[in-house]
Amino acid sequence: MQEVQTTASASESRSEMPKKPKKPKKAYFKLFGTSYKKSDSLVGLGFILPACILGILFIFIPIAISLTYAFTDMDFTDVGIRAPHFIGFENFRIMFAEDKIIWKALGNTFLFVVVAVPFQLAVALGLALILNKKKLRCNTFFRWAFFMPVMLSLAVTSFLWINLVSRTGLVTVMLEKIGFNMDKLLLENPNTAMGVIIFVSVWQGAGYQMLIFLSGLKNIPPELYEAASLDGASPSKMFFSITLPAIKPTFSFVAVTTLIGAFKLITQPMIMTQGGPDNSTYTMSYFIYDRARNGGKGLGYSSAVAFFYTIVMAAIALVLRKITSGDNTEAK
Amino acid sequence: MENTIPNELNESAVKPSRKKDRTPRDNAVLAGKIAGKTCFYLFLAALCVLFLFPVVWMIVNSMKTKEEIDSAMNTFWTFLPSAHPSHWFQAYGKMFTAYTYFGRSIFNSFLYCGITILAMLVLNSLAGYALTRIVFPGHKVITTIILLLLIVPVETSVVSTYVLLSGLGLTRGETSILGYLITGFVSPMYIFMFRSYFMGIPKELEEAANIDGCGKLRTFFLVIVPCCKPVFATVAIFTFMGQWNEYVFAQLMFAGRQDLMPLQVFLQLVQKGTDATGDMSVTMAALTFGTIPIAIVYIFCQKYIVEGVAFSGLK
Repeated sequence: MQEVQTTASASESRSEMPKKPKKPKKAYFKLFGTSYKKSDSLVGLGFILPACILGILFIFIPIAISLTYAFTDMDFTDVGIRAPHFIGFENFRIMFAEDKIIWKALGNTFLFVVVAVPFQLAVALGLALILNKKKLRCNTFFRWAFFMPVMLSLAVTSFLWINLVSRTGLVTVMLEKIGFNMDKLLLENPNTAMGVIIFVSVWQGAGYQMLIFLSGLKNIPPELYEAASLDGASPSKMFFSITLPAIKPTFSFVAVTTLIGAFKLITQPMIMTQGGPDNSTYTMSYFIYDRARNGGKGLGYSSAVAFFYTIVMAAIALVLRKITSGDNTEAK
Repeated sequence: MENTIPNELNESAVKPSRKKDRTPRDNAVLAGKIAGKTCFYLFLAALCVLFLFPVVWMIVNSMKTKEEIDSAMNTFWTFLPSAHPSHWFQAYGKMFTAYTYFGRSIFNSFLYCGITILAMLVLNSLAGYALTRIVFPGHKVITTIILLLLIVPVETSVVSTYVLLSGLGLTRGETSILGYLITGFVSPMYIFMFRSYFMGIPKELEEAANIDGCGKLRTFFLVIVPCCKPVFATVAIFTFMGQWNEYVFAQLMFAGRQDLMPLQVFLQLVQKGTDATGDMSVTMAALTFGTIPIAIVYIFCQKYIVEGVAFSGLK
C-alpha cells in the first residue's frame, strides 16, 4: 500500500517539476559556444573549488615563487625582511660555470638511480617469484619477514642504520671481525657512503614492491602454465614467455614509480650523512633543500637549481611515458 | 629454481608411488630433490636473516643497558635481550622521562595523518566527481591541467612552500600545524584516481537517485561513496603511508617546537641524545616504540595495499 503511495507522490512531483523551472531560458547559459546547465555549473564549481584554490595556492604559487627567486639574490634569512634584488642570470651562471658540487650531486643522483632501481626491482621480483611457489612452506612467515623493513618508516630506517654502522654498531664490528679495515666508518668514507644509502634504500623498499609483484603473479591464470608444460616448455622458457609478459604492466608501473621516487631521494642522505663525506652523498633534492636552508648562496641560487632540475625531471618523465605507453600499445 | 610450477604439475598429475614400488633410480632422484630443497630453504633463511637482523637487533638492544650492549656487540649475545628481565624496559623508562614529548609526537603523527586523510578524501573525491559527471565551465581546462601535472613532476623546493606559508603567517606556533597540513590536502594523482574510478560507475545509479529527488551532493554521499569504497580505502592508505613517512617538510616547519613534532622528526632529538651520551638503548627504544603503531596498521591493511596498487596504477 505504502509503496504505491510513494510512487504516486513521486510521479506527482515529477509532473510538477517542469512547472518549477518555468523560465527554462535562464536555467541554461552559454559560454565559449558551449551551453551549460546553471544548477549543474554551480554544483560542479562548488565541488571543485576547494581543491582548485588549494591547488593554486600550494602547487602553482610555490612554483611562481621559485621561478621569481631564481633571478634574485634572496637568502632564506632575508624572507620577510627585505625585498629581493633582481640579479638577472647570475645564479644560472654560477650554476653552470662555477659550482662543482651541483654536478657532483647530479652524478650522485644518477648513480643512485642507475644502481638502486634495477637492484631493488630485481630483489623484489626474485622474492615475489619465490613466494609465488605454491608448495612453499612458511609462506606467510617469509612474506612478513621480507615486508618487515617496509613497516619501519624511512626516518626510523635511517636512524637504525646510523647506529648499525656507527663505531660501536653491529655492522662495523662484524666487518672488523671478518678482517676489513674500519679505521674510516662506512658513512665517513666517500667511497662507501653512497653504497650504504643504496643498500639501506633497497633493504627498506624491496618488500613493498615484492608485494605488488606478487599480486601481479597471482593474477596469471594457471591454465597458461598447464598448457605450456603439456607442450613441453622448460621452466626458463615459461618464465620468459608467460611470466614476464603477463606481469609487464605491473613491472612497468612499479619501475616508473620507483624511478621517479629515486630521483627525489632526500630523506636518507639528509638524516644519515647531510651530503658528506666529501659531498659524496649529495643528491639533487637534498642539494636544493640544503642550499636554500643553510647554504651561503641562499634561496635564489637554490631556486635556480630547482628550476633546472625540474626541467631535467620533466624531460625524463616524458621519455619514460613515451616508453611505457609504447609498451601498452604493444601489449594490446 | 625461479619457476617450478611445471614440476608441481607433473607431481600432482602422477600420483605419489608407494615406498615399496620405488626403484633405486627413483630414490636417487628423491634424494637429489631433498638436497635441492634443503639448499633452497637455507638460501631463504639467509635472506630472512638479511632482512630481519637489523629489526631484531633494534628490538633486542632496546631491552638492554648501555653496558650490556657494548659488552655483547662482539658475540652472539647481541641478538638476545638482557639476561635480567628487570632491565628489559629500563630504556623505555629512560626515554619517556628524558623526552617528555615522545608520546605526544606519536599522537601528533596520528593526528596529522588523520586530518590529512579526511581532507584528502573529501576534497579530492568531490573534485574527481565533478570532473567525471558534472558539466560546468572550466571543466575541460581543469582536467587538462591535472593530466599535465600527472605527467610532468612539478618539483618545487619545500623551501619555497615554506616561504609562501611564512608570508601567509602560517609558520608561527600552533598555526604551523595548519600550514604544515594544508599544503598536502590536494593531490592531482588522487583526483585522477577518483575520476577514473567514478567513470566506471554506471550513470543509471545517479539518474535513479536524481529521479528520487536527491540533489548532487546527496547523490554523491549516499550513492557514489558507498559504491566506491575500494578507491576511498586505497587513497586513505596511500595518504597514511605518505604522511606517516613525511620527514623533510615537518623538520622545516616544526624546528624548535618539540610539542608539535611528528614522530619522525622527534627521533632526531633522541638520536642527538644518543650521540652525546653513547647510550644506544634509548634510541633503539624510541625506534621500536615508534614502529609498533604503524606495524599494527600495516598488519591490518596489507590486503588493501595490494588491492589498491593493483587498480591504481595498472588501469
